[in-house]
Amino acid sequence: MIPLRALIRKELGVLFGSPMAWLTLASIGLVTALLFFDNLRIYNQILFLYATTTMGGFESDTVPAYVNLRDQVFLPVMETLALTLVGLVPLVTMRVFAEERARGTDELLATTLLTPGQVVAGKLIATYAFVALALALSFVYPATSIVRSGLGLGHLVAVYAGLFALGIALASVGLACSAFATSQLVAAISAYAVAFVLYDFRWMAQFLPERAAAFVDPFSMHPRFGAFAEGLVRAGDVVYFAGYVVVAAALARLALDQTRVR
Amino acid sequence: MSGARGASVETEALERRFGDRVALAGVTLRVAPGEAFGLLGANGAGKTTFIRLVTGYLVPTRGSVRVDGVSPVDDPRAVHARIGFAAETSRLYPELSVRGFLRFAAGAHGLAGAAAQAAIERAVDRFSLGEVLRRPIGNLSKGFQQRVNLAQAFLHDPALLIVDEPTAGLDPLQQEEVRGVLRDAEGTRTVLLCTHDLDEARALTSRVGVLAGGRLVACGPTAEILAGDALALFRSDCGEAA
Repeated sequence: MIPLRALIRKELGVLFGSPMAWLTLASIGLVTALLFFDNLRIYNQILFLYATTTMGGFESDTVPAYVNLRDQVFLPVMETLALTLVGLVPLVTMRVFAEERARGTDELLATTLLTPGQVVAGKLIATYAFVALALALSFVYPATSIVRSGLGLGHLVAVYAGLFALGIALASVGLACSAFATSQLVAAISAYAVAFVLYDFRWMAQFLPERAAAFVDPFSMHPRFGAFAEGLVRAGDVVYFAGYVVVAAALARLALDQTRVR
Repeated sequence: MSGARGASVETEALERRFGDRVALAGVTLRVAPGEAFGLLGANGAGKTTFIRLVTGYLVPTRGSVRVDGVSPVDDPRAVHARIGFAAETSRLYPELSVRGFLRFAAGAHGLAGAAAQAAIERAVDRFSLGEVLRRPIGNLSKGFQQRVNLAQAFLHDPALLIVDEPTAGLDPLQQEEVRGVLRDAEGTRTVLLCTHDLDEARALTSRVGVLAGGRLVACGPTAEILAGDALALFRSDCGEAA
């Protein structure tokens, strides 16, 4: 375990030694803040409209049930944050394996006590830890609305578990692409391509027969995340997202082994 | 592990192909424990491929390689525990501080806590890295980067030190510094030096092997091999190795 711990620390050190990590964290913080305050502004305007155009004001039954902090502010912010992850995570994952190979430092790793499995595990764990940190930063603004939104703690945990699962799946796609790519650019572009396709298959539905569309739909990330956003943590969704980790680890290991024999 | 004795390196009809291209053809070689052995050859002669086969980074197409009787294919961890590897200077992590990198290298070789700290302190003293310990590697001069590179290779006191082009790109003063360090290592561990610099081979090795076109075209005491027209050996036309 000592070599694995050293590798995880090294990965985080290299990650935070590059501007990309800070840029990604800043972007996620900024996007969340902008979205949150923009949605809050709109929510307040809607409430103001109801308050000024009806006799009863806030206490009136005329304010529809769906006009609440949870549905008008918190969940839309989380939904857009999910899409933001699709845009940002490949920028972080593109370098993880490809840069190591381009620099020739993969040879250095190969002469230590790290096994190929540990190399893959260390890189995956460090990247997932970064995703968790980025999401923790995004939590600051929504957290301020939790008390008043009527969003239960269980629901909140489910939403963030969904975001984390989605982030891990996107990171896994990026890591697998990076493991096979010869350059960071190729890794990023291929990760974007795969992530956008896997994020939501519904765009394909219009080109497919109904039965085929129904078949591919469960493979989309977005509906799975949607269930978490509704507060539902289903075993099938957890297994689906965990599958990305397993596939990415297997592919990355395959890529490392190929280097030795090709 | 101790580097007091050094590790042996033995290859038997070692061959490595990349598709149709033969990078190394039938190399049989023995490096004795504690010996300073130079692997010479022009660029593309097969030196780096040979080293990569010894470290286990590549798998041989045919033949075998053993470090202290252990195959890097069968038991890579046992071999890696014996090896200290210093590649060319560019193969470092420029974002990491010197301390951070040495801490990683120690951990990656299984050293932790007080043992890691002591190893790092020894390496810092040995390679005079105290003044740059907190600086990012990317901000260091090539000379300092090479010192860092060698320091990580020495950290776990390896029985076999593999050094690839250790003075490439360094100025004469820096070259002398690096050679001094490698000279000190002689006798305490096996040194496998990969270079195309004949003066370096004369200064640092007792025996050399010359690779040309992937074949071992000469092997023997350094003074004897390099006394004649060594460049002619570099140019040896071995035909298509097969």
